[in-house]
Amino acid sequence: MPDLTRRVGVPRLAGISHPLSRPLGRPHDADGQRAVLRATLALLESATAPGHYVELPFEWPETVAQARNASKDVPPSPIAALLLKQPWLIPKLYLGRIPA
Amino acid sequence: MAIDSYRYVDFATRQIMKAWAARQEPGVVPFTRLAKPLRECTVALVSTAGIARNDDRPFDQEGERRDPWWGDPTFRRIPFGTTEKDIRVYHLHIDPKFGEEDLDVLLPMRRLSELAQEGVVGRPAPTHYSFMGYLLDTTELEQKTAPAIAAAMHEEHVDAVVLVPV
Repeated sequence: MPDLTRRVGVPRLAGISHPLSRPLGRPHDADGQRAVLRATLALLESATAPGHYVELPFEWPETVAQARNASKDVPPSPIAALLLKQPWLIPKLYLGRIPA
Repeated sequence: MAIDSYRYVDFATRQIMKAWAARQEPGVVPFTRLAKPLRECTVALVSTAGIARNDDRPFDQEGERRDPWWGDPTFRRIPFGTTEKDIRVYHLHIDPKFGEEDLDVLLPMRRLSELAQEGVVGRPAPTHYSFMGYLLDTTELEQKTAPAIAAAMHEEHVDAVVLVPV
């Protein structure tokens, strides 16, 4: 999620449109993973100012539906399960008001 | 920004993540130029996937199940040469199976080693790191975990770091 990462304020940022859980690419796709890492490392020399952002040109080989479907058996996270049961807590999460 | 950062998440998650991003103030962004050419640099990797070796302490998932607003803010060392056979991924907000099938999906130590052999970087650091990225409260990450990781990198003469958010 480069939008969120950029807002945190990292020195250099390589954005990539890969699904969650697979930032470098598909398992066993060594060539693809190496290309992503090579392009990311290049920023260490090419970036000239804080917050330098580039978008890497790699396309994910599946549709969004296919990518999400690959993880359909993963149970909801504890916070997602809680908010499904107690939806009145959703504004707390949205507003960042974390219960102490 | 042409990439849709929230492409792969559902509508509710998208709204919540965008609200968090909008509230975040970057402040002064640190920036240090490389002190030497990349081909001479020792490089370390950091993953936010909550990777722990099987002979190390797992990340505390039971604590998060008891209190879903909480996430384990500690970190684990992942020595160079660790493979998917040696680890588990302890992160309740991602699908762990891809990284447990091929660790380079999350922490590309073998790819980094290949790029070192090509002469793109100097060498992989002896140690790489992981913490678990679901941390609504980042206080301990900022005050304890990140400084401890940085100190460990300093001891191993690390020149550059690639942080791999998951």
